[in-house]
Amino acid sequence: MIAKKTMCALAATILLPLAAAADGNPELGKMKSQTCTACHGDDGRGIAPIYPVLAGQHADYLALALKQYRSGERSNAIMAPMAGPLSDDDIADLAAFYASLDGLNTPTR
Amino acid sequence: MMDFKLPAICCALVVLAAPLAVQAEGDPTVGRKKAETCLGCHGIEDYKNVYPTYHVPKLGGQNPEYIVAALTAYSTGERPHSTMHAQAATLSAEDMQDIAAYFAAREQ
Repeated sequence: MIAKKTMCALAATILLPLAAAADGNPELGKMKSQTCTACHGDDGRGIAPIYPVLAGQHADYLALALKQYRSGERSNAIMAPMAGPLSDDDIADLAAFYASLDGLNTPTR
Repeated sequence: MMDFKLPAICCALVVLAAPLAVQAEGDPTVGRKKAETCLGCHGIEDYKNVYPTYHVPKLGGQNPEYIVAALTAYSTGERPHSTMHAQAATLSAEDMQDIAAYFAAREQ
């Protein structure tokens, strides 16, 4: 019984920081986003129509995109060198920051 | 001679370029009809892709040129995604522009 409780506590201790890392910290993300703003703008809406709006996008989709740019699975001459040096935490924080901004929506029928 | 030629060239450019500009913008009303299949996934709040699992991107209010670039990259296979490749490969450049215009016009 004690062992079970200990196991649960241990599991919670181990898993909580992982969950936090996966969620990302929008405030840290904002600090890390200075390079991004050159094209995606201070408001995450893109400085020209060729650059995607990031504001309000789903965080998990943004994180996937950055990881694909980082691995080269998604090929893009501009984004590859930007995403290359990012850690998983950086990606989670940036994704959380852009997801927290007002912007994109899901159009319904 | 220069005085005559330059305005003539400018006029010719405007006449030639104007329809291109209109076409490049796409027609959001036509785009709505062409986007019916897209809305099967992108029109449902919190809809998720599987393997891997993540939310399909929100497209309402997205920049139109980016949507066309994304569809083109899916179409050529430069951007990997089997379902999006299958969808984008059936679209003409005009279809992509119309669909992009529809989603871009969906402001909050």
